[in-house]
Amino acid sequence: MTVTAGWYMALAASLFTIGAAGLLLRRNALVMFMSIELMLNSVNLTFVAAGRELGVLEGQLSVLFVMVVAAAEVTVGLAIIVAVFRNRATASVDELTGLRG
Amino acid sequence: MQDIAFLPIGPEIVLLGAALAVLMVAVTLDLGHRMWAAISFTALALAILLSWAQWIRVDDVGPQLNYGGEGVRTASMVVMDHFSALAGIVVFVVAALALLGAWPLVESLERRGAEFVALALLSIAGLHTMAAANNLILLFIGLETASISLYVIAGIVREQPNSDEAAMKYFLLGSFASAIFLYGVALVFAGTGATSIYGGGVEDFVNGNLLNLLVNGREGVLMAGIALLVVGLGFKVSAAPFHQWAPDVYQGAAGGAVGLMAAGAKVAGFAAIARVLAGAFPLAVDIWAPSVAAVAALSVVLGTALAIAQSDLKRMLAYSGVAHAGFMLTALVGAKAGVPAMWFYLSTYAFQLLGAFTIAAAVSGPRTGASALDEYRGLAARSPVLAATMGVMMLSLAGLPFTAGFVGKVGVFAAAVEAGFLWLAVVGLVTAVAGLFFYIRVIVLMYFQQPVLAEGPGTATAAPEPSDHQRIVLGVAVAVSIGFGLVPWPLLNLVQHALPL
Repeated sequence: MTVTAGWYMALAASLFTIGAAGLLLRRNALVMFMSIELMLNSVNLTFVAAGRELGVLEGQLSVLFVMVVAAAEVTVGLAIIVAVFRNRATASVDELTGLRG
Repeated sequence: MQDIAFLPIGPEIVLLGAALAVLMVAVTLDLGHRMWAAISFTALALAILLSWAQWIRVDDVGPQLNYGGEGVRTASMVVMDHFSALAGIVVFVVAALALLGAWPLVESLERRGAEFVALALLSIAGLHTMAAANNLILLFIGLETASISLYVIAGIVREQPNSDEAAMKYFLLGSFASAIFLYGVALVFAGTGATSIYGGGVEDFVNGNLLNLLVNGREGVLMAGIALLVVGLGFKVSAAPFHQWAPDVYQGAAGGAVGLMAAGAKVAGFAAIARVLAGAFPLAVDIWAPSVAAVAALSVVLGTALAIAQSDLKRMLAYSGVAHAGFMLTALVGAKAGVPAMWFYLSTYAFQLLGAFTIAAAVSGPRTGASALDEYRGLAARSPVLAATMGVMMLSLAGLPFTAGFVGKVGVFAAAVEAGFLWLAVVGLVTAVAGLFFYIRVIVLMYFQQPVLAEGPGTATAAPEPSDHQRIVLGVAVAVSIGFGLVPWPLLNLVQHALPL
């Protein structure tokens, strides 16, 4: 059995779903953040698989851009999580209940 | 070696340069916030002029695809057409006023104010990139440049309680939305083999012109991609059911910073939605229009219903923003034909939103997050100017005749009817009438009720006065709301030309 690009895309779709579920179900900000990273990387896998199958370079190129953007997101995201942790000594989003109505 | 056309990316170059300049000046020279103001407002004025120059250039030579050489399919990243030029003018004018209104906050942040100014300039550059991108990956980069800067801006006043919470919620849900949007880009790429929109890109594929790709039977992937693009952008403009972050973020973020976050992001978000739906997939309109109509109907109903129940002005404006997002999506069910109506609504709504948030910053303080409706009781007796301005904003947001909001609503309903979505126009009309309740309630609070007795600043007995910066913002907001309500034709003629390529 050959492993075609479709299999990679299916794997990527599963990873994306796992990431989305993790974001919605977990309550620790760091774990939620990791789930977002998982989603972004599953998108990268889709790009590479589709680019390889179609024989165009845009797939691989896009991944480079996405990785840079994800790195920028990490710096800001971790800074925000650290700021919250300093104020409240917790990284659980269940404790963030000041804003509601 | 190809010539590089600098005009299409001119505004971005100027703004990014100014952002770096502000940061460098702040760490090397101790000249204070006047220097930052000089740099940032010069850059914004230049960006507005460049956008205007783009409009004139497109008049002369027609729409341009930057770097668009023959046979270089991936090279065309930026498109310069009337759509992107108008988006530039609106985004930069709104952003310049938002930054002006935020200046009391910048002063109060002292040295950290430079970071705020630099981040604001970076986010403004990203916002315009969203409207001018000819490539979905570049659109994503613009989206993230804007969003990541705005996450920090939401939490810029670290000492303020709930500011960090707003930043965290904005960050987690905003990144979630970005990831969904990006997966949409990837699936569109898998379905069409292209990430660019025009010039041998997605649009050509959908139009059936792209014959060199072996992607038969991939319609399903393409459809899923379009759906995810709409969901991701729907998050960014807070359309229901993707709106949950907006009230918390608006309420928690510093009063002076919300105008840029709300008004700027709305303008660029809708420009991006219009570009993707009406620019890239106009011939697939039968496939996406029903789902966009469903989101629009849900947004107007849910936004209006939830706004009625709020006791905080900024939360109320957030939920009313959900309803307004629904009204603008109502116009977009007509694809390209609805874009002018969307532009009129969007460009006037942005000023009203900015005006209302500026008043909230004047009443509750530029650093404070919450702005309880109780603070507005009897405001007319304490600060007649603020109360009168707020009254105009509320009437225009509600869409009463002789205000810009009325002309905008007529336009979007007409566009929906023309596109064959009569039921959507009826739903919009009914909710617009229901929405009168919570807008008028603010006016009743200000003019016909006594303040709750309490002492000290930020309470209902203080007499808040807008700063000079805020006065300018409010003056422009009132002029737009009433001016384009009485004489809408200049803007109506302008937006007729602002179609995506």
